[in-house]
Amino acid sequence: MRFYVFIASVFCCAFADSRKIRGISSSYKRFYRERKSFLCIDGSKLIPFEQVNDDYCDCEDGSDEPGTSACPRGRFYCTNLGFRPHYIPSSRVNDGICDCCDASDEYNSHIRCQKTCWNLGQRERAYVEGQMRTLDEGLRLKQQLIEEGVLLWREKQAQLRELQQKAEDLHLKVEEHKKRKHQADQHKEQTLKTLQAGGAGSRQHNNTASGLFQFLDNNKDGSITVDEVQARVVTIHDEKRLLSENEAVALLGGGRQMDLTMFRHTLWDTLTKGDNVKIRDTNAALDSPVVEDPLLMAADRAAKWEATNLKKVEEAYETVNMEISDLQQKLAIDYGTDWEFLFLNSQCYKLQVYEYTYTLCPFNQVTQENTAGTQVSLGTWGMWAGEPKNQYSQMVYENGEPCWQGGSRTATVTLTCGTETALRSVKEPSKCQYIMDFQTPVACQPVLKQRGIHSEL
Amino acid sequence: MASFTERMAFVLVMALCLSGALAVDRGNFKTCDQSAFCKRQRALKPGESPYRALLETMELTNTRLTLQLINDNNKVRLLLELYRLQGNITRVKINELKPLKPRFEVPDVLVREPPTEPLSLLSQDENGVVLSLGAESQRVIVSARPFRLDIMEGRDVLMSLNSRGLLAFEHLRMRKDTQADSEAEKKEEVDPANPAEQTTKDEDDKDEDGMWEETFKSHTDGKPNGPSAISLDFSLPGVEHVYGIPEHAETLRLKTTDNGDPYRLYNLDVFQYELFNPMALYGAVPVMLAHNSQRTTGIFWLNAAETWVDISSNTAGKTVFGKMLDYVQGSSETPQTDVRWISESGIIDVFIMLGPTPKDVFSQYASLTGTQSFPPLSSLAYHQCRWNYNDQEDVKLVDAGFDEHDIPYDFIWLDIEHTDGKRYFTWDPHKFATPKEMLQGIMDKKRKMVAIVDPHIKVDSNYKIHNEIRSRGFYIKNKDGGDYEGWCWPGSAGYPDFTCADMRSWWASMFAYDQYGGSMENLYTWNDMNEPSVFNGPEVTMHKDAMHGAWEHRDVHNLYGFYVQMATAEGLIQRSGGVERPFVLTRAFFAGSQRYGAVWTGDNAAEWDHLKISIPMCLSLGLVGISFCGADVGGFFKSPSSELLVRWYQTGAYQPFFRAHAHLDTPRREPWLFGPENTALIREAVRQRYTLLPYWYLQFYQAHCTGQPVMRPLWVEYPQDPATFAIDDEFLIGTDLLVHPVTEEGARGVTAYLPGKNEVWFDVNTFQKHNGAQNLYIPVTMSSIPVFQRGGSIIPRKLRVRRSSTCMEHDPYTLFVALNPQRTAEGELYIDDGHTFNYEKKEFIHRKLFFANNILSSINLAPDAKFSTQSWIERVIILGASKPSKVTLQTADGQESQLEFEFDSSMSVLTLRKPGMNAGEDWKVMLQ
Repeated sequence: MRFYVFIASVFCCAFADSRKIRGISSSYKRFYRERKSFLCIDGSKLIPFEQVNDDYCDCEDGSDEPGTSACPRGRFYCTNLGFRPHYIPSSRVNDGICDCCDASDEYNSHIRCQKTCWNLGQRERAYVEGQMRTLDEGLRLKQQLIEEGVLLWREKQAQLRELQQKAEDLHLKVEEHKKRKHQADQHKEQTLKTLQAGGAGSRQHNNTASGLFQFLDNNKDGSITVDEVQARVVTIHDEKRLLSENEAVALLGGGRQMDLTMFRHTLWDTLTKGDNVKIRDTNAALDSPVVEDPLLMAADRAAKWEATNLKKVEEAYETVNMEISDLQQKLAIDYGTDWEFLFLNSQCYKLQVYEYTYTLCPFNQVTQENTAGTQVSLGTWGMWAGEPKNQYSQMVYENGEPCWQGGSRTATVTLTCGTETALRSVKEPSKCQYIMDFQTPVACQPVLKQRGIHSEL
Repeated sequence: MASFTERMAFVLVMALCLSGALAVDRGNFKTCDQSAFCKRQRALKPGESPYRALLETMELTNTRLTLQLINDNNKVRLLLELYRLQGNITRVKINELKPLKPRFEVPDVLVREPPTEPLSLLSQDENGVVLSLGAESQRVIVSARPFRLDIMEGRDVLMSLNSRGLLAFEHLRMRKDTQADSEAEKKEEVDPANPAEQTTKDEDDKDEDGMWEETFKSHTDGKPNGPSAISLDFSLPGVEHVYGIPEHAETLRLKTTDNGDPYRLYNLDVFQYELFNPMALYGAVPVMLAHNSQRTTGIFWLNAAETWVDISSNTAGKTVFGKMLDYVQGSSETPQTDVRWISESGIIDVFIMLGPTPKDVFSQYASLTGTQSFPPLSSLAYHQCRWNYNDQEDVKLVDAGFDEHDIPYDFIWLDIEHTDGKRYFTWDPHKFATPKEMLQGIMDKKRKMVAIVDPHIKVDSNYKIHNEIRSRGFYIKNKDGGDYEGWCWPGSAGYPDFTCADMRSWWASMFAYDQYGGSMENLYTWNDMNEPSVFNGPEVTMHKDAMHGAWEHRDVHNLYGFYVQMATAEGLIQRSGGVERPFVLTRAFFAGSQRYGAVWTGDNAAEWDHLKISIPMCLSLGLVGISFCGADVGGFFKSPSSELLVRWYQTGAYQPFFRAHAHLDTPRREPWLFGPENTALIREAVRQRYTLLPYWYLQFYQAHCTGQPVMRPLWVEYPQDPATFAIDDEFLIGTDLLVHPVTEEGARGVTAYLPGKNEVWFDVNTFQKHNGAQNLYIPVTMSSIPVFQRGGSIIPRKLRVRRSSTCMEHDPYTLFVALNPQRTAEGELYIDDGHTFNYEKKEFIHRKLFFANNILSSINLAPDAKFSTQSWIERVIILGASKPSKVTLQTADGQESQLEFEFDSSMSVLTLRKPGMNAGEDWKVMLQ
């Protein structure tokens, strides 16, 4: 493509003396040195220098019109002395709206722009100072919270260890009680068997001292006990009545048990004489050996007792285990590099927005309650969702109450630096998608401070 | 928020059956069979017309012919009035000669009593009369037995009325069970001249089901006036293509209705409407256009009651092969389309517009109902809407988002949630506590806002608007005389009687700045739900036996939305002391609604088919006068994919009313939420709209002056090319821009028909030239919007796209001159202040731009008008040019200067650099 240039007399202008090129920053001045011609910054075209800022777009990149609105892709530099300089799109030059605080963008429009850079700068400085103070204070508080967090972390760890110890102890206990219960069950079973077998064979045993002893010695431990006497021996006057403990002890010669030798000389005689006591009528016993048999009842009681004990211990074990897994779950959450977010775990923060009260319980859930008291879940703890650079800047709570048009409510919480920990705002830009602003010292980042105030201020 | 979901749930349960599928619940809306009068009328058989013209009763004056018709079955007499109207229109009115009580005649739709032309009697005998219809060798033949009208031009029949004998006029009558008392009284009314007729009267008046009462679902329509339906058939010889009768979600070319329901015209709030069917939608314009390559005609059936339109055709069933066979064999049967209109009440009042060109029909219709209102320039720019921007902070952030992403917009919209509990004219005290502050913030950016004002008024004794309407007796009454109450957004609501002129002026006064608290001059209005929508009413609308003064809702139903917009627009005019042009969007409409603002196609969905249908739906509206039409960009229900959203922006940017809108339950979809690539695509589409605003504005000025549609089907400009007759996936804006939007998912290309045997078309992006009368395959990418400028046209653009159209007011123009093969081109440039009625006081610039003999000149088209502009011509781009050796500019004062230029020989594009003349002055540019 060839380019023909005709210098029309109308456009012959007095650009002779060096003048300020409108709309460029000092770093771009080098492109606009007064010469015969101007090379578009992208190098695409060479034009007469008079055509720079002549309100006609010659360069593809818009570089010939930094100070007018002629180029669709151009930009205009607001120097904004006293405030911060910035670029605006060329389309905002002379559009009747004040964009630059130094009023430089409206040099040829109806509007009179106030020069506000100084005020803005002051306000900005005050704001930045305020921010700095907040940041300082926030960082100090954060340090505290980190320390507290570390302590809390340790405390929780200790708590976990303690619980784990407890669990171990309980585990042993459970094993022991299982064993005991097992024994008791076995004994009960045996007693029952003996009883059933004994109903048929008791008479022949009665003939010999050792035979009767064997019969009475229900648990076959080689000695007769009070229980065993009570189980098989009755007074001749009242067969139905259970011997009292004292009576049984008397029959055992004043002791609580008696071996075979002793038996031959004492109880055997008494029983063979049959004046006061006798072996329970086995016929009667056979009718309901299980229910009636005192030995069996004792064994049953013992088994039940052991079962109850086991259950208690097992329950305690289970509780502790649950506490452990709870705690482990809590401790598995990422509380920041220094556990600085840990303290939030057991807290809840409320904010009223119009007719709704919102409650954020960090790492737990978010809810919304209306004035009538109806509560709706906006989500339970999901994950950290900030940018990779600072993933702790945002939390997501998900799977809240289902929505009318499908899906479920979610809440996205953005954490910002502040001296207090509080919920600052809640919005619902789209249905069922909530956005919360949560302020807390632990969100304060020292990097912010390094960036500092703009040099131009 | 959460409570809203419950409210929605209620509404949905009320208004529709809850179903999982996203589609209209047809069961909520009547079929013809379920609408007693439609069923009765449709059951009539053709060829058995009982009507006879009583030629001896004929009276012919200078302005009209009257004639009595008699129904030989029941001896009821009708009065036929026939008028020849100026501009090649024939009006036929039929009413009962002596109705029991007056029948409703639609007021306020015609801009004036149409001026007549003399009729003259050509011949008469016992079989009929022949009348001359003015100078154009047109005659109307009135046949007596059976009665029928044939409109002829030369030897051709243009249109016949009652040729199939389907004229039916259900005369008003006393109910049988109450008739005895009034029999004596009735006797007195009988025409003493025809005592014999009385004996057989009422012979066919057997009561049928639904004549005196009709129940649909749980709603009973008590019909104290009994049956009152009317019907008439029209035959259109030589016609195979008929269009119009919006609003339907239908192709541009109407289908025959033999195998289904007729097209229905009954303004209804249809939840999730279905595409490609004849069901009624939000608005009704009872105007049909008929076209063949020789002639275009139109039928305007002026009736506001529920109306059904049957279409049949003798060629509809034939295959292409069959038609060819007819042609080869010289089959005598000419194609013909038969149309039949059925309305529930009122009278027959029909305007037959005889063309002969499409433009003539538009002018004829405009002479009856007026032209498109001339909108403020800014309203042709981009509108950002959502149900709902939640609060002032939200509005501020969205506004800032557009600046941040450098996307222009002019209007931000607030839906119903901005009000204090759906009390219109109020603001939510928390979310919109300081509306003026918000409006000022928008005004500071030279932007504007629209807030919704619906016609249902919350019944609440603490609400000023309600109290005033109630105390003034302005509410529509139920059949028992109490204020009609229905359920809508605010809960129980009253409906102001907008058919009452006093009510309308009171309503208009409510828009005064001191009445509408928090309003400012950059706040405009949106009327939704004005069918009217009544959630718990029959078919989600008002009971037909509700009363508007003396008239039943049945009589005026389709007019309600028309009046709501009329009163609102009047309010916006009045608040500025008559200075500022209003902008009012309406969902319901009727014939004449074009005079009051814009319409949109209602609650569509984020689906590709809905994007496609937006083209025929707006084309159909344009054909019947309503040019300011748009569809919700992105789709109202559901959530669009980013591809669909981008394609919709690209399509919407080239449709008249360009507004994005979304349902409350959808995720946010401001243009920058779909990644930088899509943001850039949307930005580019919106920017293209802004560069073309001078052209759009000119189109609307012309539509306002002439009644020509802005968005046009191809056949309107190429009426003799049958290939264009059914095209509705592309369209013209004015005469010079051809747009074929990409409406297919994953499209790699589109095939566009470029019309005109002698035309050339220039791709507006590449400047590539294509010949007309061909199907052109155009490969597309996501950034493509196939748009062509017609060779022979000149289009002014403003290429400095700014934040809003108002910011661009004083910007210079670039003229795109596209040469035709004869190396000529012409166009127009219209400039005024963009927002006041001062153009009516001749404060505007209207110039003709003309290129011929290598001279481009600007000629004043309105020498008596005066207006000055700062805008100048910064660039002229001539497409299809050859390289000049010298270019000279001659300005008004005779001064000559040479212009720099650049010539791209590969594309034959000549660019004149900075000619610099004022856009309002005379000038010439000479190429040598």
